[in-house]
Amino acid sequence: MINRKITILGPEGTNLTLLILFLFLNFISWLTLFTLSDGLTFDLQNSVFRQMTFSILAIILFFAITYISLDQINNYTYLFFGLVSLLLVLLFTTDPKEGVRRWFDLGLIDFQPSEYIKIALVLFISKSFSENFNKVYIGLISFIPIALVFFQPDLGTTTLLLAITLSMFLVSDIKTRTIFSIVLLGGVSFFGLLELGFINSYQLNRITSFFDSVDFAQSQSRLAISSGGFSGQFFEVEKINQIFIPVQSTDFIFSAYAYQFGFIGVIILFGLWAFFFYRVAKIIVSTQSDFEKFVLAGFSGSLIFQIFINISTVIGIIPVTGMPFPLLSLGGSSIVATAVIFGIINRIFIENNVVI
Amino acid sequence: MFFQQKFRLLSFLISVIFLGLIFNIYNLQIINREDAIESVNIQTLDTFYIASPRGEIYDTNNNKLASSSLEPHLFVNLRKINDKNISKYEQYIKYNFTDLEDTFISDLFESKNLMVKVANITELSFDERQSLSSLDAFEIFDFPVRKYEYDNIASHIIGYLGEPSLEDIKSFPLAAYSNIVGKNGLERYYQKDLAGNPTQIIFQGSEIKEIVNGSPGKDIISSLDIDLQIVATESLLQGMQLANERFESSNKIQKGAVVVLDIRTNEVLSLVSLPDYNPNNFVDGISNREFNELNITGAFNNYPIQGQYPPGSVFKVVAYWLAEQENLYPEGLSSRNGKIDCEGSLVFGFNDGSQQVYNDWKEEGHGRVNLSSSIKESCNVYFWDIALKIWRDYEGTSSESILQEYAKSLGFGELTNIDLPYEASGVVPDRNLFEDWAVSQPERVRAEGWLGGDLMNLIIGQGAITTTPIQVANAYRTLISGKLSKPYINLDQQDNKELLLEVNETFINFLLQDLNSVTNEGGTAHASFSILGNNVKDVGGKTGTAQNSGDKNNTSWFVGIDSISNPRYVIATVVEEGGSGSAIAAPVTRRIIQSLRGVNPTPVKFGEITE
Repeated sequence: MINRKITILGPEGTNLTLLILFLFLNFISWLTLFTLSDGLTFDLQNSVFRQMTFSILAIILFFAITYISLDQINNYTYLFFGLVSLLLVLLFTTDPKEGVRRWFDLGLIDFQPSEYIKIALVLFISKSFSENFNKVYIGLISFIPIALVFFQPDLGTTTLLLAITLSMFLVSDIKTRTIFSIVLLGGVSFFGLLELGFINSYQLNRITSFFDSVDFAQSQSRLAISSGGFSGQFFEVEKINQIFIPVQSTDFIFSAYAYQFGFIGVIILFGLWAFFFYRVAKIIVSTQSDFEKFVLAGFSGSLIFQIFINISTVIGIIPVTGMPFPLLSLGGSSIVATAVIFGIINRIFIENNVVI
Repeated sequence: MFFQQKFRLLSFLISVIFLGLIFNIYNLQIINREDAIESVNIQTLDTFYIASPRGEIYDTNNNKLASSSLEPHLFVNLRKINDKNISKYEQYIKYNFTDLEDTFISDLFESKNLMVKVANITELSFDERQSLSSLDAFEIFDFPVRKYEYDNIASHIIGYLGEPSLEDIKSFPLAAYSNIVGKNGLERYYQKDLAGNPTQIIFQGSEIKEIVNGSPGKDIISSLDIDLQIVATESLLQGMQLANERFESSNKIQKGAVVVLDIRTNEVLSLVSLPDYNPNNFVDGISNREFNELNITGAFNNYPIQGQYPPGSVFKVVAYWLAEQENLYPEGLSSRNGKIDCEGSLVFGFNDGSQQVYNDWKEEGHGRVNLSSSIKESCNVYFWDIALKIWRDYEGTSSESILQEYAKSLGFGELTNIDLPYEASGVVPDRNLFEDWAVSQPERVRAEGWLGGDLMNLIIGQGAITTTPIQVANAYRTLISGKLSKPYINLDQQDNKELLLEVNETFINFLLQDLNSVTNEGGTAHASFSILGNNVKDVGGKTGTAQNSGDKNNTSWFVGIDSISNPRYVIATVVEEGGSGSAIAAPVTRRIIQSLRGVNPTPVKFGEITE
């Protein structure tokens, strides 16, 4: 193994840019939640304090993952993938909550395996690709957890998992033409199954209702974003409280952010993420390891797709899917899962001797 | 195998998609912002508040002091004003209301409110009003107009109105809506009752959706007698003019107070504070310059309840009461009839061996004096002897502050709780207070702390003691009626508690007799009261001339009682830097007593100079 040039944080060092970006994005989330709350109080019912607690947990996790080498990750990938898939199967034995089976109730917190299948799937496909396994088998095995998530049902995560798989196949050496043919075939058979009544009408409604009228939450959130204007309303909470937006601290938090900090704030947020993906892309191009390339591409694809779907939902150009904005939305599962992604990416950075 | 070329192409495509998203947000936040704000306004209800007519204020004879009337006013609905029509409306207002200043008009349109008030349109004809209301953004609403019928008279009792400050809004949250609040006097003390509930004009978008009528405020019937108030104000002004003519003072003598209380009920019949102001000037807002000018003269102070003066000899009644109650007379005397020799000064020694000389205001002395004659002639030596007795008998014991306790049971050093805002409490000093001051304001006390000399000062109403005119009037009323209660102006009083005092008929009769002697032959105020003729036998009072530190002239005090046979009124008069009480405050009080007795008041004439 190559000797590390500089060791700043953690046993193997930490990429400073990544760490600062991670902390800053967490901070933006606190600030936005603060503007939506009645102030900060120190109990877990308070959304700001809740998010801060999760952030601290996430930061600890971020550093903890620095201890795990890529070789170890590579070695345990199949085991991890298998375990999470098993958990997804076990979910079907639980009692449905509000008509869906998504969480294991662990008392104080809920555990949501579908957050970790995003990571497991990326690692699984990367490892399989880098070891040149049969692409058809890879595709078929990938489809097992996706189908499990679909029947929870969780349309948002299903789409995300499909997008991750698709993006990773697209950057592999499989012919693009072949991929698109399969996607086309898949689409046609999906609607075929739909017609035959195999699929819950809950997902169907989500799609069809969009074409009739714009969702109430979306039109409200468009108003809030517009009201933000160029430089934002900065903590003028009175007006945004008048614009009622459902799930404003979770899936629709971007509208509150855009209201408070305006177009300038939006550009800053986009800029931070763009800088992050630019740094990741540079490693993808420069690293020699196919495993690392695919892992980075898969994680980037996952994050980009989440951001894209979230913003598109909030500004009303696609139907409501229930996708959180990574590191901005209130929610423990999402922030912890994102911390794992950042942790692994950090490990790839430092194993490529990129510390700043 | 990772395919680098496809990755670059995909990255490029994603970048393009995100630029599309940013463009979309740009459209929302920058291009379509106005429309969005309009829709936000449409889906949220906003309320504009118009004050309801305030309750009216009457005097005890049903004379209207402060009236309220609803008059039509022109308003502009600012939600209907946009870049296209703003100049049209501005021109229209300029053309129709020529007396409005241009800056006022342009400020109107910059308001963040839903509507702004342009002008009172009572004078306009029906047709003119019709043509105004035909314009879309113009609205006509009734708006209450406050009028103070007697201008400056009783201004400090009635108070005035103004825009609420942040502090005001804390005390009266509703005032934030109607944007008007009582700033002083009854207008402030009874703000909640007087203001009523404002009318709500509910907007949806730029349209008025609903009008919820408010309720007018409650009227106040006050104990004030406006005719007496006018006489009292005139009398005080005459007294001040006289003082300015007769004394060489570095400051213009212009501050003073009169309090007239009804002894039976403790109603306030008159409460004069000078200098005063015209509350009508505040109705449409007052300029900063005018406000500052008034402020510099002290016109906003309500001297009868806020002016804190050493009371001088009018305070002697406290020791007078104490002496009778405790059987505590100068050394060697055992009753009120016992006499001492007043030689014009008192030479004595304290326990610490220090030799002191105290000089009475009358150099040659008052001769043989007892308790009665030392009230009549305002002899200091007699009272100093009482103080010495207290000091020698009680120094350092729990009874050391016996004089202060008597003062406090008459209401000194504490708020009278009259129904007016910002009352001051004055100070009755004792050893504890001096010890507190030694820490908090060391410049006010000597290092030695509380000494016998301080008690001797206190007994004649000098030194650190301060009192307000209402406290003095209230103390005399308490002593004469035997009841301690709060003086009040609003006749609608619930649970007015009375505290009974330990005084018997005999004492009250002695007190009245001795106060009567002050205005009669040989008394300090006789010169000022002799004009009453035979009636002088039925009035009484006590003079006071309180020394001030620095080069300030003495404070002129007089407390009058009318009548002796049937005590009905107590009148306390103070002229700041007015000099001798018997010379200035006494004739002012005499003129007020004339009015109370239904006699034609004769001009205030300079009396005898005494203390």
